Amino acid sequence: MTSFNYQELIDSEQALQKRSIFWDPAIYEEELKQIFNRCWLFLGHESQIPQHGDFIRTYMGEDDIIVVRGKDKVVRAFLNACTHRGNKVCQAEGGNTRSFTCSYHGWSYNTEGELAGVPLEKEIYDNLDRERFGLVPVAHVESYKGLLFGCFSESAPSLVEYLGDIAWYIDVVTDSAQGGLEIVGAPYRTEIPGNWKLPVENAIGDGYHVAWAHAGAMSVVGALGHGRSDNVLGISANNSGVDQSAAIEVVMNTHTVLTTLDGQSGYALYDHPEPVLAHLEKNRPSVIEKLGELRGRQLYGSETHIGVFPNLQIIQGLNFIRIIHPKGPGKFEVWTYAMCERDMPDATKGVIHDHVRQTFGPAGLLEGDDGDFVEAITHSAAGYATRQLKGFLGMGMGRKAAWDGPGEASPGLVNEACQRGFYDQWRRAMEAHNAHEIIGQTEPTAPLTSILREVRHG
Amino acid sequence: MGNAELKLAPAAPVSFEQEYAIGKFLLMEARVLDEERYPEWLDLLTEDIRYQIPVPLTTYRRNRASTTALKPLFIIDDGFPGLKQRAAREATGLVWLNDPATRHLRMVNNIEVEATDTPNEFFVRSKFLLYRGRRDKDIVSHAGWREDILRQTSQGFRVARRVVHLLERVVMDKNLNMFF
Repeated sequence: MTSFNYQELIDSEQALQKRSIFWDPAIYEEELKQIFNRCWLFLGHESQIPQHGDFIRTYMGEDDIIVVRGKDKVVRAFLNACTHRGNKVCQAEGGNTRSFTCSYHGWSYNTEGELAGVPLEKEIYDNLDRERFGLVPVAHVESYKGLLFGCFSESAPSLVEYLGDIAWYIDVVTDSAQGGLEIVGAPYRTEIPGNWKLPVENAIGDGYHVAWAHAGAMSVVGALGHGRSDNVLGISANNSGVDQSAAIEVVMNTHTVLTTLDGQSGYALYDHPEPVLAHLEKNRPSVIEKLGELRGRQLYGSETHIGVFPNLQIIQGLNFIRIIHPKGPGKFEVWTYAMCERDMPDATKGVIHDHVRQTFGPAGLLEGDDGDFVEAITHSAAGYATRQLKGFLGMGMGRKAAWDGPGEASPGLVNEACQRGFYDQWRRAMEAHNAHEIIGQTEPTAPLTSILREVRHG
Repeated sequence: MGNAELKLAPAAPVSFEQEYAIGKFLLMEARVLDEERYPEWLDLLTEDIRYQIPVPLTTYRRNRASTTALKPLFIIDDGFPGLKQRAAREATGLVWLNDPATRHLRMVNNIEVEATDTPNEFFVRSKFLLYRGRRDKDIVSHAGWREDILRQTSQGFRVARRVVHLLERVVMDKNLNMFF
């Protein structure tokens, strides 16, 4: 158990969050254990590693992870640490390889993680038991329609159980994609001096900041092709007249969704959206057939921000997948991958890639605005008095919207329902005794057994 | 390293005067950017410019050049309209992170000039250090090198092509809302 009073840190009734959660190193250490060592975490997409020997590197919390497709085509994930002394066995971010070889003494592992080579083995060891010293696997790796997730917790719920109702929304992205979803290559990566929770809740639910924080960008985006858009994402350009019927924020068990419901405004910020809009309408009948009227007409093509707890955002419309990797309490890395449909014409894919780069790449017109306040919120909490203050996310409390999809909906995207949902979920994860409690399951309540612990005792 | 799309002619002699003038042009261009005179900077570009900043992917040497599922990735890949849009954003007066103003300092050196197959175009390599100071002590620096095609026009030199090579895989800056 922990010594923190989570009720005081996250006051759900008053919608208050104590600012020490963005600063306190002890809370951060607890997050690594309670959240990042227990939740299912996004690793990448299968299209990044199609062939045997294809690999990518990523992080689960602060753990350095190799994700590799083996000879048997199975995708596995391993801690990037030599079992001899702990040096990294891979220093590239991705590529294709037959083995991972440690640069310290030359221990070498195959693409299934087995210890395959030990220099001078016969001369220096008496019957070294190689099976004991394979790369340490992430306990569970599963794919949800191509999206790869890993989980350290041996006794965790399955990925499908963990995703729960959010899968209904993810399906709009994955099942509508002709030929499946495609993430080609590497993500954009930027390191920002702020706490990891701030960019997460900003991306999943903060419709309020868009017109103000991004005011400069919002007055020029979309201007190249079709002139300035007066009503982007249901927010008028002068930040008044917020349309309550144009969008909803939905809070589910564990995860959240924000969506504009009109089936097209996802592409409102594009300078040249025409090829994407044409593709959308061509594809829409088949999406309706597959997923029904509600999803086919109202969600497909909308600006939809799917927040998968803790740190994954799948953003339809802006069309990128984003993951926030924590790097200490006051630092994070943001990874952004453009997502396309595999069978889209190359020119249409190009429009999406151009747009992602232009808006939310490291030099994106909107991307740069958020770093400043994320840093200031985090680092001003260094002050003892400031750290005692509480943030307020009370907007839209008690507002309900009729909604036939899963989850509890609240009207308007200038709303703080998703952000409240995120912090409530954070609190539940921090108070949980095992991976099941994180998603509200009461059984089983066996204590967490992580693969790391097993290795230590083995 | 280098960019395959830049077709280099064998190094042909360039006059001392031309080389000197190109060096002066690059220093002037750097100062225009330091002083945030973006409309004037746009005037120093050709309408058919392509401006790219590739991401330097961290791959093993044997995996270079798209031999795997990793594909080239660009931080900026703009033509003139895109650059104009970026400049227009800075001019809105609504970019809060630049008020108080960001202070810029660019140093350009290691300038090497080669002639190309096109008589009025020069292939120019240069190295740069870009420092930005914000707020009290928020100093960020970027070092890198550039490959330019400079075109000589009746109004002087104009940048017709620029590839900016950064050294950092992970961008260590809160934004890259500036021009290199």
